[in-house]
Amino acid sequence: MSDFEEPYEPIPAGNVLGSDPFDRIAGHEPFIDRLDELEQRQPSARAPRRVAQQIVRNEQHTELESVQAPDSRSLNIEPDEAGHPSQRLLRRRRAITPLLSQIELTQARGIAERLIPADERKRLAALAHLVEADQEALYDRFGFSPAAIKNSFPLFHALYRFYFRVRSEGHSNVPTDGPVVLAGNHGGLLPFDGAMAIVDLLLHTDPPRLARTIVDRWAGSLPWVNIYYARVGQVIGTRENFSDLLDEGQVVMVFPEGIEGIRKTIAHRHRLQPFRVGFVEHALRAQSPIVPMAIVGSDNQTPILYDIKPLARRLGLPVAPITPTFPWFGPIGLLPYPVRYKIVYGEPLRFHERFGPEGAEDSRLVRYLANQVRRRIQLLIDRNH
Amino acid sequence: MPRVLVTHADEPIGRRIVKTLYHDRAIETVFALGDGPPPRAFDGYLTGPDRRVVYSQVDIAKHRPVSDLFHSKRFRAARIDTIVYVPRHGVGSADTPPLVGGIAERTAESRLLLQFALETAAIRNLIAIGSAFVYRMPPGNANRLNEDSELDLDPRVPDEIRSWIDCDMIFHGELHNEHLGVALLRVPTVVAGGGYVYMNPSLVGRPGTRFRALGFDPICALVSDKDVAGAVQAAIRTAATGIFNISGEQSVPLSVLAEWTGRSSIPLPGPLLRWLTPAARALGLESDQSPADCDQLRYGFTLDTERAATELGFRARYRIGRARAGDGALRVETAPIG
Repeated sequence: MSDFEEPYEPIPAGNVLGSDPFDRIAGHEPFIDRLDELEQRQPSARAPRRVAQQIVRNEQHTELESVQAPDSRSLNIEPDEAGHPSQRLLRRRRAITPLLSQIELTQARGIAERLIPADERKRLAALAHLVEADQEALYDRFGFSPAAIKNSFPLFHALYRFYFRVRSEGHSNVPTDGPVVLAGNHGGLLPFDGAMAIVDLLLHTDPPRLARTIVDRWAGSLPWVNIYYARVGQVIGTRENFSDLLDEGQVVMVFPEGIEGIRKTIAHRHRLQPFRVGFVEHALRAQSPIVPMAIVGSDNQTPILYDIKPLARRLGLPVAPITPTFPWFGPIGLLPYPVRYKIVYGEPLRFHERFGPEGAEDSRLVRYLANQVRRRIQLLIDRNH
Repeated sequence: MPRVLVTHADEPIGRRIVKTLYHDRAIETVFALGDGPPPRAFDGYLTGPDRRVVYSQVDIAKHRPVSDLFHSKRFRAARIDTIVYVPRHGVGSADTPPLVGGIAERTAESRLLLQFALETAAIRNLIAIGSAFVYRMPPGNANRLNEDSELDLDPRVPDEIRSWIDCDMIFHGELHNEHLGVALLRVPTVVAGGGYVYMNPSLVGRPGTRFRALGFDPICALVSDKDVAGAVQAAIRTAATGIFNISGEQSVPLSVLAEWTGRSSIPLPGPLLRWLTPAARALGLESDQSPADCDQLRYGFTLDTERAATELGFRARYRIGRARAGDGALRVETAPIG
């Protein structure tokens, strides 16, 4: 039985799901007929373009890997920490990090590095392998810089350990290799939930995996924020960016609620807002599993009492909140309260195995599958908050 | 065997293309055009025993010289069947942007070349090099763009970028012509050995100080001039038509690229940037061709080159880094992969 066919599990009494729109799914679902019909359908003779392209890419990758390492002396490229300067130049298209046991740790340099424990430093060193460019550039095509994440890590690690005291479970549900879409709930005005999920995944996977979060276009227009986001691996949510990351085999973290998630008021906390569905489309096309992820606690970090929408529209902001501390204490009032976070990874949903890439062309199917993901995340939230 | 005409062969990318085509034994003749005298690099080609390269000094932005060229005995004798349009891209002067009859020089060149290519029955293929800065830039530090991404048709686009868009649209209009195969290669920032960089509107013109938008440091996709020449070579061989993104695998932020090319960049807030750039131009500190403020200077992009890989067989063969030059300075340089 596939994941989406599972009967709707009854919600334990006392949970906030009184008006859950998914109650309807428990009854007759006309989509099931359509899904069965899709399953019966023979694989299309015309292979989807994305798959064909992926084959071309893989061939290129193999070919490039087989060529001899270039002479780095001509470019004065110094060996990197792992001691192999030019290997990264040859790795194309597939972003892979090595196992922790394969990383040789060098002596810590600089204050930021000395603050990081040895195990975590190894994990950060592994991320350098995601960058294709040469030693001097150290940026991937989206502007990600392992140096930037190394410098930011002590702060976010401290927030993770001591401020939000994050507990997490279900890491084994995140595949260790290949493309993954990590779909989670969003909350708490400032996106600390995303940051904590990135740190958590980095700390609990081997080989260490960096979640590339899809962020709203609005964030890309903010001075400095756009640079920082790019340097630490966040990517603006365009179709091309999304599919490109999945084609490279990276972990793509999405918050399908979008901006609606962070501006929900205290009355709606722990309740998922309507989902955008593009992530399912991309997951089907890239044949990638979707791992539902619940971040419990973020809804309490900055409880919004009221959102002054006309003011937000006038100022061009996504939200104009009134919280117990904002605007009374100025910008400091926007900082999150020290709530405890719990991050839970659910079992991966492998829709692509049943529907294949052509399933992405069916908008009703995509919507249905997105609702299944939403239901899974809601269940995880309900069980853990 | 193809007989190829290359425009602006006296400028760096044109020179590189002529060199590459000269060493390609599948090319019969290279008819190189330039504004000035033949580059010294061509001495060996022009006086060699096989005489496969012909150089002619022609201003292709003006109707009469182009008409004279296409009707000349020398041109007819060369039996050109492929035109490689390399637009002007060299170091700009501090003078006003070149205009011909009120339109940008680049646009005038494109129109004339296309017109004569369509009128000359022998010409079967036209390969034009365009800029990837023609795309509309959505907010974000790095946008992955493919050939179907939108062009920036905002009327407020700076003149430098507008001229690239005009050229692009001129060639775009003939993509489905049955008699003339048009291939448009959109290239991002082109890096050549010795610290030279071309086709980037932020770094156009002479080395020196450049202004950039405060709080923005867009990622710049890079490609080696040798890879551009390789893409042209592939387009000639395959006679493929359509639009192709041509890019290398590497990309760096604008501030890093400016540093690599010996330019210092001063970040300024948007409104100040709009006011100070014309002032700096008046004082001769900034190139007249560099746009004051636009999305292309704030938001970065990288290019999806899958179509070029599939249809042209293009793959970047050069990587870009810094090398220590003879004077001890670190300069941007290209080196072959493998």
